[in-house]
Formats: sequence, C-alpha cells, structure tokens
Amino acid sequence: MNTQTNAEVQHYLDRMREALADLPATEVGEIMDDAGAHVVEVAEEMGEEFSLAALTDRLGTPHAYAQELRAAAGYPSPAAVDVPTGSRPTILARFALWSLVAGTVMAFASGMSGGDSEELTLLIGLCAVAATVLVFRQSALMPEIERLPETAALTDGLRRLEQGDTQRVLASLRTFQPVWWLGRALLIGSVALMSYRYEPAALLVLALGVLSLVAGPKARTDRRWLWISLPATGAALGVLLLILGSLASQLDAPSPVQASYNPQPSTPDNIYVFDKDGKPLTDVHLYDENGQPLETPWYGCDGRSSGEDNRYPRPRVVHDENGCREIPGVPPFAIVLPTPNLTTTVPPASTVPSGSAAPTTPPSTPTPSAQAPAPTTVTPVTPTG
Amino acid sequence: MDTSQLLKGVLDLAVLAVLRKEDGYGYDVLRRLRQGGLDGVGDASVYGTLRRLYNAGLLTSYVVPSEEGPHRKYYSLNEPGRTRLLESGKTWKSFAQALDDLLGEGA
Repeated sequence: MNTQTNAEVQHYLDRMREALADLPATEVGEIMDDAGAHVVEVAEEMGEEFSLAALTDRLGTPHAYAQELRAAAGYPSPAAVDVPTGSRPTILARFALWSLVAGTVMAFASGMSGGDSEELTLLIGLCAVAATVLVFRQSALMPEIERLPETAALTDGLRRLEQGDTQRVLASLRTFQPVWWLGRALLIGSVALMSYRYEPAALLVLALGVLSLVAGPKARTDRRWLWISLPATGAALGVLLLILGSLASQLDAPSPVQASYNPQPSTPDNIYVFDKDGKPLTDVHLYDENGQPLETPWYGCDGRSSGEDNRYPRPRVVHDENGCREIPGVPPFAIVLPTPNLTTTVPPASTVPSGSAAPTTPPSTPTPSAQAPAPTTVTPVTPTG
Repeated sequence: MDTSQLLKGVLDLAVLAVLRKEDGYGYDVLRRLRQGGLDGVGDASVYGTLRRLYNAGLLTSYVVPSEEGPHRKYYSLNEPGRTRLLESGKTWKSFAQALDDLLGEGA
C-alpha cells in the first residue's frame, strides 16, 4: 500500500474515530483494532482501483460506518447521550465554541494586518485563551460543545463538503499536512519576532507558534487541540496573505509612475491667494473648470474634520509650547512677486512717455549733419594753392 | 421483504454459528456469513455485533500478528457463548417452525 493510500485510509479511520469519540477510550481502541484492520484490508483488496471515493462507496462514509457499528454493538447513539445531560447549562460550552470561532477570525485578521493590536483584538485574544484553558481543564466540556446545535450545524456542513468532489482534493492535501504544520509555526514565529518584538504579546504569539506544532497532529484525535490549531491556522493564513499581497504589489507596481494614474487629483492642504501687489487675499472660493468647488477636508485643533468646503485659505493649525492654535487667514510667509515679468511685459507701454532718456537723443542727430561742411570752410589750406 | 430488518434480530445467532467450528477475525466472520447466503449483511454491523457479543462475555479474543497487513483480532466461542448458541438456536428453530406453519403451503 503506497503512502497516498495510507493517508486516505488514515483519514477514513480518523473520521470514524471521531464519530465514536464519546465512547470510553478503551472501547474505541478495541473497535479501531477490529474495524480499522477491516478498512485497511478492504483498501488493500481494491489494489490499483483504490480511492477514497471507492472506499466510501464500499463501506459508506466513516460516519455511517460508525453509526451502523454503534447500532449493532448496542452502544447508545450520540444523540441519546443528550437526554441525561442535555438540561445542563451550556453557557460555558457556547463561550468556548464561539471564542474559538472569534479567535480564529481575529487571528486571521491580525495576521493579515501584520499584527496590529487594538482593544477588541486583545479582548477576543483573552477570550480565546480562556476558552482554550477551559476545554483543556474541564473534560466534560467537549461532549457538551459537541452537543450544541451550532456545532452540529458546523460539522454537518463540513461533512457535506467532504463528500463531494472536494473529498479527493482534501485527501491529497492531507498528505502535505505535516509540511503545513511546520510552515504555520514558522509564519507565526516570524510575526512574533517582527511585529511584537518588545511587547509581552510576542511571548503569547511565540507560544501559539510552538504549541501549533504539537496541536496539528494532536487535533486529529483530540478535538481540544483545535482551540490552538484553528487560531494558529487563521493567523498563519493571514500572515501568508499579507506576505503574498506585499510581494504581488511589489511586482505589479515596480515604479512610482503608476501612482500618477490616480484619477483623484491630489489637493494641497491649504491654498494662499495673493493679488497683483502681493497682498494676501482671504475668503476666496475656488472652483475647477466644471464649476465644481475645489474642496479639501480640514482638521482643526480638536482633530476633527470641519467637513469639506472650498473657502481658502483655511485657518492654520499651529502646535507650539502654548498648545494648539488655529490662526485664521494669514499666510505664514510673505511673497515678492517676480520682477523679471514686469520688465519684459511693461516696456512698450512705459518707456515712451517717460522723459528721462529723451534729451540725449534729439541733439545728437542734427549736430553732425549741420556741422559737417563747417570744417571744410575753415580749412586754411586754400590760400597756399 | 427487507432482509436487513430480519438480519438485525438474528445477526447474533448467525455470528455465533459461524464461530462454532472455527475461530475467526472480523473479516473472516463477514465472509463466512456472506458465503452462507446472508449477503445483505453490513460490514460495520458484523463488527458491532462481535463487539457486543464480546462485551456480553460470549466471546474471547486474541491477537494474531500478520506479516503482510495489520494484526488480526480473532474471536472464539467460550462456554457461555456455546450455551447461548444452543439456546438461541432452539428459539430460532421453533420460531421458524411456527412461521412455516403459519405460511403453510401458500409460500
């Protein structure tokens, strides 16, 4: 029998053992000796044609097999056990179950957020820890949890899921379970070291990582270990998604160029408007080319947004030794309007009327032309010739 | 008529009967029952019945290691088991006789 077959047979036997879990442990051991050998033998007979589906076809689902065996052996059916203990308060059981569910979801979420802890996370985390301690210390709690209607609904759903085509996929995935257990512990350990380095939470997360190593194989036969295994899986999946997500975004957007495709143009926090003399204007309303007000949110000293409007400049929020102040209107700087613009645009209009340059030009032109013949008349050369 | 309902009542007797001559492990017992004509018998029912008879003190068991597969747990009839087989056998025979008479020639 190859390892693949082994794993699937083992899976079948595990499910069967689960369905008998409420019986005394020695009895379960005896049954599994007998019926387990039978399942293995049937699987061996199938040889090449073996598949979990074929096995289920021949023997029924592990659950059905166990039920038939129970009925023939005269054991009380698990539902019948309800009667004497059903009236007991199941608040603790309910707490344990829902803490497990919430803890798993929370572990996934905080794994994905890279371990950001908030009050709610902390609270759920504490509940999950308390629930784990509870199920391990109170042995009577597990059967109680199994009898909760929500547990029945959950396991029913899972069982239905396992019977379809997914059965084959699940069975093949199960082969890699030990690898996953190791990877899970490493992922959780990395969170403990990277996110919570100096916080007490690091110890908690590290403990979860180490315990998850044990919890994986244990949870197959002892459901109590699910209280460690499931949150560990949630956290590890969250971290995995976080890592894959950041890898994908690095691959997708290698350059910041793509950031410019943002359809929402970035608006500055504040806008100061000056008139032509460099005097700051206040209470200016700004609109874009479509007549839409250019609105930006504004946060005052109380940290709350005043809502969006398009009146600028916004009051300036200044933090100094006196605390926080809101200074209305006035820009924190003065401007000098650029002068080169004046000289290039102004000359044609301004130089003509100005009189300063005019006196030098008019005398220069007539003087040389009028005085040119003069030297010839004055020349003393003519009397000698 | 649904034989599975009939089987439920007589499976104890059938299992005791096939173990009378020779000890057997679960799959053995199942094969003997099927070869004997009870082909509707369910695998798990046989194992459950073996457990019940064992817990009732009618069977003893011993384990035989197997080289090629998992080790096998053999069951054998003990004295209370043989006594039970005799009693139950008598009950069955008179029951079957009564039913035969009721049916008469009609069946």
